[in-house]
Amino acid sequence: MTHRRTHLLAAPLVAALGLVALAGPAGASGESIGGCIAHHLEEMIEHSHGDTDRVVHELHEESTQEDLEACLEAPNPILPELNEIIWGGAAFLILLVVMVKKGFPAVKGAMDARAERIQADLDAAETAKSDAQAIQADYEARLADAKGEAARLFEEARTTADQLKVDLTSRAEADVVEMRERATADIEASRQQAIADLRAEVAGIALGAAERVVQSSLDEDAQRRLIDQYIDEVSGHDD
Amino acid sequence: MTDPLVAGYADALFSVASAEGDPAVVEDELFRFAQVFRADDDLQSSLGDPSVPASRRQQIVEDLLSGRANAATTAVVSMVVAAGRASSLPAIVDAFVERSAASRNKTVATVRSAVELTDDQAERLTAALNGATGKDVEVKVVVDPSVLGGVVTEIGDDIIDGSIRRRLSQLRESFG
Repeated sequence: MTHRRTHLLAAPLVAALGLVALAGPAGASGESIGGCIAHHLEEMIEHSHGDTDRVVHELHEESTQEDLEACLEAPNPILPELNEIIWGGAAFLILLVVMVKKGFPAVKGAMDARAERIQADLDAAETAKSDAQAIQADYEARLADAKGEAARLFEEARTTADQLKVDLTSRAEADVVEMRERATADIEASRQQAIADLRAEVAGIALGAAERVVQSSLDEDAQRRLIDQYIDEVSGHDD
Repeated sequence: MTDPLVAGYADALFSVASAEGDPAVVEDELFRFAQVFRADDDLQSSLGDPSVPASRRQQIVEDLLSGRANAATTAVVSMVVAAGRASSLPAIVDAFVERSAASRNKTVATVRSAVELTDDQAERLTAALNGATGKDVEVKVVVDPSVLGGVVTEIGDDIIDGSIRRRLSQLRESFG
């Protein structure tokens, strides 16, 4: 890159040097107005051999005035002087060669580099655009997912709430049934217990009475018979 | 399973009774004393109270048995009471009786009845138990009014209950 810039700076510098170098010879050729007048003056001075009065006298002569006016006449406005064409053409050629050899490649390189840079920038922009589109698509997809997830969560929450409602209702109903059954069971147990207590009480009274009857009725003969009966039963074990 | 401590005391007392006199007499007297001891809560508390000096408890035993029982019987009971084992006396006596009966190749059958058995009943019951168990049984009769009527026989861990008390209990259970 630095090398290319050096070429770009060198080309106009060479051209300027060429113009300056060629300007001197072009001006000194005498083909210009000043050169023409100077040429006539030198000739007058030379013819007068250093006599200034004579020079002044000749300057006021009509022929001299015509010559000088002829110098003042404008050259051809389209076609320059031959020496200018030569020097200008040579300078143009030199400059053209220099530009072809040095300037154009540098300019072409710079243009290519710029084109490459622009292309790279375009590519980067395209890539960035693609990335941005991808990110946008990703965001849109995520947004869609988020919306879907939100909808799913909402639906799930609603389902859960419905299920919870159903569960609570069924549980409450089950609790009511259980409490009712438990109360029924407690009542039945209490009833059974009361019956059992009453039966035990009646049995105790009846057995107490029976025991007293037995004790009063067990005289010696009864005791003897019971013992004999027991002995017979024990003897029966052997049978 | 007899407590080793009880079995140890029973063996020791049997050795003393054998050395001092007739083990069968001592066995019978000890058996009767044990029955009285079981039935008398006051006697149990008096002889089993560790706050009462051992000499005082032995004096109670002497007062109870002196002149009524063999000296060997009095001595072994006094020894058990002095050792602070009065609460184990019934178990020790039971083990003693079994040990003594075993020495005669007999098995003790404790017979509880509301009234005393006649000699004839005792003989027939002994014969019946011999036949029922296949062992040579020696009947020890205990008069226990709580039986109400009939007989309860205990031979080792076996019980043959033919008492009115059991029938009343069965009746009570049938009401339950």
